[in-house]
Amino acid sequence: MALLEAIGISKTYPGGVVANDGVNLVVESGEVHAVVGENGAGKSTLMKILFGIEQPNAGALMLDGKPVRFANPREAIEAGIGMVFQHFSLVPSFSVYENVVLGSEPRSGIRFERHKAIAEVKAISDRFRLSVDPMPAVMTLPVGQQQRVEILKALYRNARILILDEPTAVLAPQEVQELFVAIRSLVAQGKTVIFIAHKLPEVLEISDTITVMRQGKTVGQVKAKEVTEKSLAAMMVGREVTLRVERKATDQSQRVAEIEGLRVVNARGTEVVAGLDLNVHAGEVVGLVGVEGNGQAETLEAVAGLRAIAAGTIRIADKDATAMSVLDRRALGLASIPEDRIARGLATGATVAENLVATRLNETRYVRNGLLDLKAIKANALQLIERFSIRVGGPASTVDTLSGGNMQKVVVARELAEQPKLLLVNQPTRGVDLGATQFIWRTITDARDAGAAVLLSSADLGELLALSDRLLVLYRGRIVAAFVNTPDLTPETLGTYMLGLSTQTADEMKAALR
Amino acid sequence: MSSISGTNKSSRWSAVRKEIGRAGGALLISLIVTFVIVLLTSKDPLGAFEQLLTQLPQKTRTFGYWIDDVAKLTITGLAFSLVFQARQFSMGVQGQVYIGALAATYVALSPLGASWAGIPLGIAAAMLAGAVYGFLPGIAKAKLGANEIVSSLMLNYVAIELCNFLVRTNLPKPQAGVLTTNDFPDSAVFPMLVDKTRIDLGLILAIVAVLVVWFAVYRTSWGLKLRLVGHNARFAEYSGIKSTFIMVSAMTASGALGGLLGSMFVQGQTYGKLTVLFEGNLAFEGILVAIVARSRPLAVPIVALFYGYLRQGAQLMNIRTDVPAEVIGVVTAIIILLVSSSYSLAFLKRLFRRGVATAPTPAAAAGAAK
Repeated sequence: MALLEAIGISKTYPGGVVANDGVNLVVESGEVHAVVGENGAGKSTLMKILFGIEQPNAGALMLDGKPVRFANPREAIEAGIGMVFQHFSLVPSFSVYENVVLGSEPRSGIRFERHKAIAEVKAISDRFRLSVDPMPAVMTLPVGQQQRVEILKALYRNARILILDEPTAVLAPQEVQELFVAIRSLVAQGKTVIFIAHKLPEVLEISDTITVMRQGKTVGQVKAKEVTEKSLAAMMVGREVTLRVERKATDQSQRVAEIEGLRVVNARGTEVVAGLDLNVHAGEVVGLVGVEGNGQAETLEAVAGLRAIAAGTIRIADKDATAMSVLDRRALGLASIPEDRIARGLATGATVAENLVATRLNETRYVRNGLLDLKAIKANALQLIERFSIRVGGPASTVDTLSGGNMQKVVVARELAEQPKLLLVNQPTRGVDLGATQFIWRTITDARDAGAAVLLSSADLGELLALSDRLLVLYRGRIVAAFVNTPDLTPETLGTYMLGLSTQTADEMKAALR
Repeated sequence: MSSISGTNKSSRWSAVRKEIGRAGGALLISLIVTFVIVLLTSKDPLGAFEQLLTQLPQKTRTFGYWIDDVAKLTITGLAFSLVFQARQFSMGVQGQVYIGALAATYVALSPLGASWAGIPLGIAAAMLAGAVYGFLPGIAKAKLGANEIVSSLMLNYVAIELCNFLVRTNLPKPQAGVLTTNDFPDSAVFPMLVDKTRIDLGLILAIVAVLVVWFAVYRTSWGLKLRLVGHNARFAEYSGIKSTFIMVSAMTASGALGGLLGSMFVQGQTYGKLTVLFEGNLAFEGILVAIVARSRPLAVPIVALFYGYLRQGAQLMNIRTDVPAEVIGVVTAIIILLVSSSYSLAFLKRLFRRGVATAPTPAAAAGAAK
């Protein structure tokens, strides 16, 4: 008998959007059950129904073989279902244990029994190998730890079934591994985990059973052992997806970017980039590998001119760019796709056309005598919308009306409207669905093939291995290993260097540091 | 291509219609609430409302009050719109009005004031002084990180008290102890546009200002940069836009408008001289105008038209009935509350429908329990 079963669930939102259309899900006790699908496939809606946030229009839920109905999350929690959202619901200034017990505190009379709460939280975290110090305020913890607090919250409320909504999206690779260890220990102790994801390698690694959703329907349920990444991707998208990109042989003799002795100190006075030497040549992609926060983002920002540097020189196209303004660097052929498109890469309240010219307001094509050439700006937008197949109402639509993938396409279109000499890319496909990922990878590779020097940073090792010619591993702001990308280079090899467990000697790195 | 631009235009118009609906709805709701209050407190509520809503256009004189108010509200609304578009919350228009008025007064009472240059030079001096006064909180923020809200509010007091001090001491006045200066020479006072009203050159200045600000914000590269900084300053920095320059220049330009308003006060038909506390808190009403107009320069005069009507209507009500003008504060507060919240007509409808829908449920639940 299945532990939790959803039969023929349908959900239509008031706006007429059909999010779930006869969805079936069978979760066995004690398994890790992944639900995969592209953005908008209806995964989140299904989970919200399981957790009582949304009510289905049709269909039934069975728990332990008995029909159930959850009018709200409280009822779901009482039935033993817990959910960890992608965006955490924690009180930042409260301590870990306070967050865990909040809402069902141990008490005697009206007094909150702090010691009992701390002891209970400790006991749960020991039992499930989710080690978190119960005392510090949640806001001081890294994201991975905050996620554990969320899991502890559910476990404290005696969840038997734990729903994790895209838990790896916010985690660094080694945190993902830690999460997986915790999930395995949960399952070993009889818990059941429903795991929402769209990174396929992770899904295959952690889950026993996989339900694939597409456009609000269940495409099928498969055993993780019986499928490959490729067949799974085809099920998700409904067609064959090649996640490999073909790269042309290019002339890589010309140095475009030379970074020497770069040091960056952050606002708290910590040295985040500690004497970095690296060169990027025309026609190559250099991948910066590392757990997030080891200096990759700061390096890219320093080269883009967005971050003050403590020491070192940056040369772009044979000119000393160390002290140049952003616009001067761009004039040398620099383009940059920033890490967070909404915070840095776009003005979401402005129109698509305005976003597409924002970096070119010094060009006489769009601005003459301080006046905007609205015709040229619109023509530019129409041309780029067409070329990058951005799905948008028109040039005058504001960016906040677009989906995440299309927003990223606006950034990519602006930066690659003209062939750059040096392209900086940070997390190009974070939170972007497979179709758009494929397109963005293709676009970056095309820029490389046409002779751009590309410096790429990504939290997704698969992406780095798919796109890079050379890979440099950063640990605490230093290069600890360098590789020429070959088919036999594995994420595991990179992993040991990423965690600082070993370091290559200068001789070993020499071949890949040119 | 033409179809794309076509859909854009129609969607833009529907957005404009929606905004007008929102503002109109807010006005209606606030008037209803006000009417209820007047009903409860006044002996003659209908009379009071009649004064508030119908009397203004009936006489040229009162009609003039209205239009004069509209011109001034438009300028202060534009000044706030400019800084709001750049997401700077400088509250300094009031101070700029006083400083601008002082500068215009010194010109008007100097020998230059008696010449043909009295008006243009007065305006120019006022705008320059206002610009400098707007620049101060901007540069303090850019260089020292001083919060512009605090510094601009403090500078308002400095300007008001400076004006107070100079009127009492330094500036020539008709007799000792009077809190006004000498009347300006006719050559320094804005000519009347409509006889026997306060409608003067200020109205034309307001119309010109609307067009200039609209052009600057939507047709120049400075304006686009200003809006991009307002939308997302980090993005602007990433794009190579010098956001501190934009920020300071927006506050300076807004200051020039504030200064202009100062000159419109003292050189206008209403006064024709400088008197202490002449501005009667009109400058701050620009915040309301800018918020309701969503900081859109072309919407500012329209909002000013409605708001000016209420303001002057309230004065009539104040004089002629037992309802004080302060009641209009209720209207203002409700409008700001509604417009700046996520209120929409659809939301109100939904709220209403939910109220109807939930009403019978207890009965249904009781029935089910049986």
